[in-house]
Amino acid sequence: MSADLLTVEGLSIAYGPTGVVHDVSFSVAKGESLALIGESGSGKSTIAKAVLRLLPHGEATAAGRVALNGRDILALPEKQFRPLRGRQLGFIPQDPASALNPVRTIGAQAQEAAALLGETDPSVRRGRILDVLEQVGLPDPVRVYDSYPHQLSGGMLQRVLIALTVLPRPSLIVADEPTSALDVTVQKLILDMLTELRRDLDISLLLITHDLAIAAERADSLVVLKDGAVQESGPSRDVFAAPRTDYARSLQADVPALHPDRYRDQRTAFQPARDGDYRTGHVSSPSARLQIDVRDVTKRFSAGGMDVLACDGVSFSVERGRTHALVGESGSGKTTAVRLLLGLEQPDGGQIAVAGQSTSGRSRAEVRDIRRHLQLVYQNPFTSLDPTWRVSRIIREPLDQFGVGTKPERAQRVREALEAVGLPSDVASRRPAHLSGGQRQRVAIARALVVRPDVVVLDEPTSALDVSVQAGILELLSKLQRELDLTYLFVSHDLALVRQVADTVSVLRKGQVVEDGAVEDIFSRPQHPYTRALLDSIPLATPAAALGEVATEAKQLAKATA
Amino acid sequence: MTAILSNAQLRNVGSASRKLTAGLPPATVILSFAVILVVILWSLVPGLFTSLSPVTGDTASKLAAPSAAHWFGTDYLGRDQYARVVHGTASSVTSALVAVLIGLVVGSIIGLASGFRGGWVDAVLGRFVDVLLAIPGFLLAVVIVSSLGFQTINAAIATGVSAVAVFARLMRAEVMRVRSASYVEASYLEGGNRLHALLGHVLPNAYRSVLVLAVLQFGTSILIIASLAFLGYGDPPPASDWGLLVASGKTYVTAPWLVYAPALVIVVTVLSVNRISRWLRNAK
Amino acid sequence: MTGDYRRFALTRAAQAIVVVLLAYVFTFLIISVLPGDAITNTLRDPQHGLSEEDIQRIVAFYGLDQPVVIQLLLSLGRFLTGELGFSLQSNLPVSQLVGDALPSTLTLATTALVIAIVFAGAIAYGAQYLPGKWAAIVRSIPSFFLSVPNFVIGLVLIEFFAFRLHSFTTTDPNSPVATLFAAITLAIPVSAPLAEVLIASLDHESRQEYAVVARSRGLTEARLFAKHLVKPAALPSVAMVALIVGELLGGSVITETIFGRDGIGTVVQKAVTGEDQPVLQAVVSLSAVVFVAVNLVADLASPLLDPRVKIRETKLKEKVGA
Repeated sequence: MSADLLTVEGLSIAYGPTGVVHDVSFSVAKGESLALIGESGSGKSTIAKAVLRLLPHGEATAAGRVALNGRDILALPEKQFRPLRGRQLGFIPQDPASALNPVRTIGAQAQEAAALLGETDPSVRRGRILDVLEQVGLPDPVRVYDSYPHQLSGGMLQRVLIALTVLPRPSLIVADEPTSALDVTVQKLILDMLTELRRDLDISLLLITHDLAIAAERADSLVVLKDGAVQESGPSRDVFAAPRTDYARSLQADVPALHPDRYRDQRTAFQPARDGDYRTGHVSSPSARLQIDVRDVTKRFSAGGMDVLACDGVSFSVERGRTHALVGESGSGKTTAVRLLLGLEQPDGGQIAVAGQSTSGRSRAEVRDIRRHLQLVYQNPFTSLDPTWRVSRIIREPLDQFGVGTKPERAQRVREALEAVGLPSDVASRRPAHLSGGQRQRVAIARALVVRPDVVVLDEPTSALDVSVQAGILELLSKLQRELDLTYLFVSHDLALVRQVADTVSVLRKGQVVEDGAVEDIFSRPQHPYTRALLDSIPLATPAAALGEVATEAKQLAKATA
Repeated sequence: MTAILSNAQLRNVGSASRKLTAGLPPATVILSFAVILVVILWSLVPGLFTSLSPVTGDTASKLAAPSAAHWFGTDYLGRDQYARVVHGTASSVTSALVAVLIGLVVGSIIGLASGFRGGWVDAVLGRFVDVLLAIPGFLLAVVIVSSLGFQTINAAIATGVSAVAVFARLMRAEVMRVRSASYVEASYLEGGNRLHALLGHVLPNAYRSVLVLAVLQFGTSILIIASLAFLGYGDPPPASDWGLLVASGKTYVTAPWLVYAPALVIVVTVLSVNRISRWLRNAK
Repeated sequence: MTGDYRRFALTRAAQAIVVVLLAYVFTFLIISVLPGDAITNTLRDPQHGLSEEDIQRIVAFYGLDQPVVIQLLLSLGRFLTGELGFSLQSNLPVSQLVGDALPSTLTLATTALVIAIVFAGAIAYGAQYLPGKWAAIVRSIPSFFLSVPNFVIGLVLIEFFAFRLHSFTTTDPNSPVATLFAAITLAIPVSAPLAEVLIASLDHESRQEYAVVARSRGLTEARLFAKHLVKPAALPSVAMVALIVGELLGGSVITETIFGRDGIGTVVQKAVTGEDQPVLQAVVSLSAVVFVAVNLVADLASPLLDPRVKIRETKLKEKVGA
């Protein structure tokens, strides 16, 4: 093994009196990749900022040693450190949409990166920029060069940022959650591209991520962080295959991609349906058992003179006690489908029936009554609870509005609901600001369940939460489904998660259902290329070394044929 | 799982208790509250602070410089300037309060209707607010007070009307922000009607920043009313509104305290109000 | 895109015209409908020495013997053709009164605007780049500026610079130095909100991810400020500068009184004390025209200056279409 490129020894960082990173040590060898893994509050991003010397001035204090090629960069005066920026140390940020100046063109900002090459002629620099933009797979580099950031998609912007980072050929790139703001299929493409570039140009990588599966797939070694301290570290395959600490073990157990059957055995005795006939395959009168039946629904929005067909003949149905998933990326129409179902938007055409009752052509009061059987849990628990209300009032709101029971009965049901979602009773008197994300989502679930609905729509209920919290919520949901015979409509972009929780699934793309069926079928025999692309984007969770071998083999093959 | 949950809980309790133990507001804010308290007492019980009369003076000691007997000196009739400032407080402060109330109530109703109802209501009210904004605030106040007559209460009404637009705009923006929050949508799904959403969710979440603006606007109103009084558009002498005191003091070049004492009182009061407003805004 | 922009520009221009007309009507209502039969009081005031024929002529001109609605239509019709009527006090055309006073106020207001922008820029830069303690002090300046009444600033400046240092004399209020100090008086309260907007948007921009990324490429703070932060931070201030114009027009009433300048502010003062309604109506409506015009320019310029605004433009179009 060659000498270490980056060595971090005993790094501690504090914001004022609050320590956020405690005595962290690790090292990255030349050409190697290392992933820092942790949930929110683990200090992983703070460490990345410290390595880049981008911690806010005066607010954060760092102690310890961060050495790049043997030079302690924390001790260097800014003047001596500045030449290392970009040239030795590259940075790929988390959210590509905010990482480029919105009022300057891509080209103008790329010129700054190109200036680090020491090239003085702007036209030569432009040539180099266009080359590297092409290298990262942008189809029309000249157009990109002249564009403003808001004219490009998130995936394209992240390609631009990677291009600008690799352009000066740094020896180390720090990538802070480089794909978590992107759609899943784009994530995989970006990570593949980054892996390949890195190998071609011999650049080391410090990858910051919350996603253990991505880390294991893309990094040679892992450092697991919790509350600012190292829990476990070592080569990816070791940490991954045999985690030694409880925390790493639970983290590993909570990753959906690694445990497709985690909640399956807990669920009601569900017999896998026979091929292709999951909708009608049950002997007992099928229509009576359908809790949700959406038939051929269309919805058109016009925005900026353009008509967008958000839902184009979408059909799906869910049987009582089952979980049906709507899967798709942003713009697939899954959110619109849910809003139509809940009556928040009116469909342009098609039929929607809930518990056998059609919602179209009914009076306000009747629709209101149907809604009672149909509740929603929002994606983001930080915006779905009124910050000025106490938890008890939040959970009681549906009872008050639907006029259910007497006052003491309502209070009793609120207590029961809190207990059912596993929250201590003293939470009732708190406001949402004093709860964690996971607790808030439990409150939102309690609010949805307190009117005893038959159907609960779960709109990406865990995507704003850490994986360990996510696992707790999913466990709770599956327990409640069993106990209360609930029907779930689960909306998600995460196929790995869907495989864990759903019985049946509809894959949506551009407002159309491209494929539907039982989860087992879709996952084992995907028919549509888009479904296959989505499935491919689930991290393989094979340690990077193995992946590397495959890649080099492929490259040798390519050379041989060339 | 329970272990992880309790960890998350611990983290959160930690940050919450840190906020609580942050405790007392900064020293400047406490000082500001003290100033406001004094000003309120001046206006409620001026007799407690000075035994001298604001209207009759001892001409023998006219235009005397500040001393232990006359903190702010005396004016051309030998009246104690401190007594005049203290007795002028009630009118200066109450009129600013009236102005803020007019702006707050009328502006909030317009903003609420505009933001919550939308559509043509928003379009009509929006144009009305545009009109109020288009006429420079101070000019508008001058025109209104000249139509209503030169009295401090009319100056207050004029100041209030010219503040309506600011309140309406902020309230509308806040209502629009809250209206699109998912907890408002959730309340519809839970069977709530529009009135419930408005009173239960939108107002409680929107009014805070409007109240912060009201505090700030209180300071601004003191300034505008003082300016109107300075131009002679308030109650005539022997009233002793702060702005009027500055105006009548400026003729006596040899007795600058006649200008500086009331001017300082205005500045310190408004500065304190602004400090409190900023503190409220940041504490929110 | 250009078609979109033209439609956007036309809509905004139409809205601006509607607002100006409504402002005229609103002012008219305040002046004529609110209590007090000022106009005839003024006319009958023996001090003016108007003959009975003069009075009859004026009553006929303004339609004073007819219902308010007719008076309004008469007045609005004349306003649309650029005719502002006659002063009740001096019997001079209002346009002449305003025309004589305008240059002085224009000089004062433009100088004040420049000073306000310079002040605000300096405060914002200091708040961002001075070392810790100094930055905190600089940050509190706008709040202080907002707490001092215009007339106090003026009186203090006169006391020190005219009476003690003899930099200028109050007997010659139109001298360049006197004008400068009058402009400073007007500029100080006006610079405060501008400085606050600049500070806030500089804070916002320098915390943005793109600033961090630019730093990671080795940009110095000075280059970062010049190349990245100035433009996005200054763009929101364009709207603020436009709003400030209204404050300048209002504030000039006080400033001109204190410094003894003859300008629009003095005209307003005289009209108020003399209950000269046509003059008040004209000055207030013209101020509204200036304010609306400046804001229209700022509105129309922002999509051209700021590439981000183009998105909002389409949204606006939807709203107008709906």
